[in-house]
Amino acid sequence: MLPYNFKYELRLLLRSRWIQLLSILLLVLFGFSTYNGKEKVEKRISDISNAKQEVKESDEAMLKLLDSVERGLEVSVSSWSIPTSPMAVGNNHPRVAAMEPQPMAFVSTGQADLFTHYIKPTVSGDDFALNFTEMTSPVQLLFGSFDLSFVIVYLLPLLIIAFTYNILSSEKEQGSLRLLASQPISIRKWVFQKLILRFFWLSILVTLSLLLVFFVVGIQPLEWVSVLGLVGLTLCYMLFWFALAFLVNLFVDSSAKNAVSLIMLWVLFVLLTPSVLNQLGNTLYPMPSRTLMINEMREQKVEATKRQDEILDNFLRDHPEYAINDSTQSRNFYHRYMASQKVVKEALEPIVNTYEAQLQRQQTWSKKLQWLSPAIVVHESMNQLAGTSTADYENYRGQVIAFAETWRSHLMTFLYNNTPFSQQEYSSLPQFEYSPTTNGTVGLSALVLLVISGVLLVFGFVAQGKSQKRGLLSN
Amino acid sequence: MIRKTFIKENKELWRDGRVRIAFAIVVLLLGVAIWISARQYQNINEQYQIAENTERAIWDNQGEKSPHSAAHYGTYAFKPKYPLSLVDQGVDKYVGTSIFLEAHKRNEAQFSAAADQTGLARFGDLTPDFILLFIIPLLIILLGYNSFTKEREMGTLTLLKSQGISPWKWALGKWAALFFPIFIVSLLLFLITGMVLSNLKDFGVFSWQSLFSLFLVYIGYYIIFINIVLFISLKAKKSGIALVLSLSIWILACLAAPKAASNIAEAKHPYPTRQEFAANVLKDKKNGLDGHNPWSKESKMLEQEVLAEHGVDSIHKLPFNFDAYRMQKGEEHEAEIYFKHYNYLKEQYSKQTNLYQSLAVVSPYLPTRFLSMAIAKTDYTAHWDFSDTAEDYRIATQKFLNDNFAQNSSYGEWSYQADADLWSKLPKFSYEPPELSAILSTNVSSLWILGAWITISFSLFLITSKTI
Repeated sequence: MLPYNFKYELRLLLRSRWIQLLSILLLVLFGFSTYNGKEKVEKRISDISNAKQEVKESDEAMLKLLDSVERGLEVSVSSWSIPTSPMAVGNNHPRVAAMEPQPMAFVSTGQADLFTHYIKPTVSGDDFALNFTEMTSPVQLLFGSFDLSFVIVYLLPLLIIAFTYNILSSEKEQGSLRLLASQPISIRKWVFQKLILRFFWLSILVTLSLLLVFFVVGIQPLEWVSVLGLVGLTLCYMLFWFALAFLVNLFVDSSAKNAVSLIMLWVLFVLLTPSVLNQLGNTLYPMPSRTLMINEMREQKVEATKRQDEILDNFLRDHPEYAINDSTQSRNFYHRYMASQKVVKEALEPIVNTYEAQLQRQQTWSKKLQWLSPAIVVHESMNQLAGTSTADYENYRGQVIAFAETWRSHLMTFLYNNTPFSQQEYSSLPQFEYSPTTNGTVGLSALVLLVISGVLLVFGFVAQGKSQKRGLLSN
Repeated sequence: MIRKTFIKENKELWRDGRVRIAFAIVVLLLGVAIWISARQYQNINEQYQIAENTERAIWDNQGEKSPHSAAHYGTYAFKPKYPLSLVDQGVDKYVGTSIFLEAHKRNEAQFSAAADQTGLARFGDLTPDFILLFIIPLLIILLGYNSFTKEREMGTLTLLKSQGISPWKWALGKWAALFFPIFIVSLLLFLITGMVLSNLKDFGVFSWQSLFSLFLVYIGYYIIFINIVLFISLKAKKSGIALVLSLSIWILACLAAPKAASNIAEAKHPYPTRQEFAANVLKDKKNGLDGHNPWSKESKMLEQEVLAEHGVDSIHKLPFNFDAYRMQKGEEHEAEIYFKHYNYLKEQYSKQTNLYQSLAVVSPYLPTRFLSMAIAKTDYTAHWDFSDTAEDYRIATQKFLNDNFAQNSSYGEWSYQADADLWSKLPKFSYEPPELSAILSTNVSSLWILGAWITISFSLFLITSKTI
């Protein structure tokens, strides 16, 4: 029976122009979204390389200046910006701490429009005042981006619904169900075969059009393992929706009712569950008020400024290594400033950490409950593939703050030893290198989706088998 | 005829179990959404009050201090939340809530709520605007997709035709039958919201007038959807096809068009990155007067000018502290630079807005969204308005401090300390949001677009009804 069904289905799909229509739709949707994604990634890369270029040029100027100073020439810049002062280097010549895009970054915008991709930490800045958000019009953030993950998570299920809602019901409505019932095949098997064949053709269309689009848009470099992950995940997600369509086709009767039921499921999984979970997460693990944090921070700073001299003394007692090679023991503004900065930072650390911890808790919680909606699972996995998930940006933030500390302490050694910064020291300035997160769960997600779909399909088979005794044509 | 059709259709709708369930779900969701938003609103307002009072107390109790140290120490402007944000949260989640006001620098609002949330937040929140903008149009589709197709499918169309009905009366009856339940649900929702809001303490600038305008905007939006859905139902041969078509329109208008618009807007009129913006400002600052650098060319020029103006030959003989005067001039110059650069952002945004408006041709969602946010004072323009007021206050504060410095000390006297009671003499920061009439007049183009949508879709529906 399968070969007949196969041939019949293909012919039907071609003659009803479903295949042609779907191919065009998929190509347009994938094409537009991939193009958007690629444009964003390219802008990101060029922003970063511009920033690096700028630093390179300013470094050259700095080295020239240092050279003149070291040779005892007069220079025409204000005294506090001459780079022999380590603080001038630390504040005016910061390094670029950039988060380079992952090869699959074009797949999903994720949090990439919200957060910045490069930052230049200075020695005198506050870590908690480092602004990691990007300058974007909030309207854009509100609307989101037409990226590949939007097409796959939101639109693909709708295409599947339109493609499958009336498989059985249309037979009933056209009157051909009686003909079918007289055939030597059970209805559930027939519906199943029909659906699997449609799934098969849609999978081929999706895979081919994805690959074609990647090729035409010119995604470079194409990482085959990740592309395979993307396609695998997409197919599992599609199978989930086919399994739902299978159940709905078996248990609901008219075409319109089928469509309504499927749409309700779509609204439930794609729109409602995520927003309810987000709301619940915020209610269960509320973020402490940032405005109140500002108050706290200000009070700490006032306190620290009052006790600057005392703080500096304590600091040097705790860190004798800083002053050990210094014979002059001269102290100026920056000695006091940097020491009290450190005290403020340490005092505020617990407060700042509550935010990170709370975010962490929200994240763990949503990780657990994401299985309530395959849409969340797929969306999160795609963000992971693209390296644009919240976890990636948290990771980047952590690395930047660690680097800011390295940068600061590197130059603080010069400051407290009262040694001038020189040309030879240039090459040993710390550099930032972003290392992306590695523990992806894309494979696991795909596997779980596969299992869920399998369970749904088997359930359909068993349950329909039981109810079939009532008779298909009675009604 | 209109009345009879209306009664029959409504009875039919009400007897349909699915319709009742759908209604119950929507009302339940709305209830939950309002409850959550009201709680959040209260919470945030309390925090806002505390933060503002504490910050002012910190400022007032600085003790004896150099005015310029106080200027660097700075103060904060906190953005209030408005009652109608209960209905539409708009872009509030994506813009910061506090602006640090300090010497020499215009800062952007910090700490947006979205940055403190997980990736789930990007799916959207369960807020009234989500239900109003997405779910109720969906409800309209579910109620109305088979309004005309069912007559075809059940064979009652021939019967109706043989009765010699007038098609437009019949169509109007159907239209009214679909409009009525939607109207009741929205009316109830807005009444409840109004009651909740007027019972909250410190509800501030809440006005029934704004709420009513918001209600009208949404009713207009629903009328457009009703027209489209019924038009499709008239044209389609089968209920299933009508449903799928209506849904495609919904997806296109509510989901795809805004996202595509945002992508196109960004590609065509991009914002600079935060670092680029800072670098551009710095470049301009370097080329002008630096209040802290007495040796620059600009400083020397200013010195000559002031000396000539006062007819003295040395800055020591001036009746005020020239250092402070120069700082004030530098401050004014820097404020101009910031004005220029922030204006560039605004220009980019207004170009983006034009693009959104031109795309409103394919999506009635866009003008509705913009109008709704504007009336609720949660749109980007409202944010700009607040941030501009904060900037004006910053400039005034700097002038207040520098003037005090200039009047009460002499040239070179950097150790001058102002009295402890100076700080409380600085007027408090206060912000009044624009009035409803002003908001409506700035958004008049969105109103026109919405009006055009209503008229065109309704006439299309009426004209088509004749051909059934």
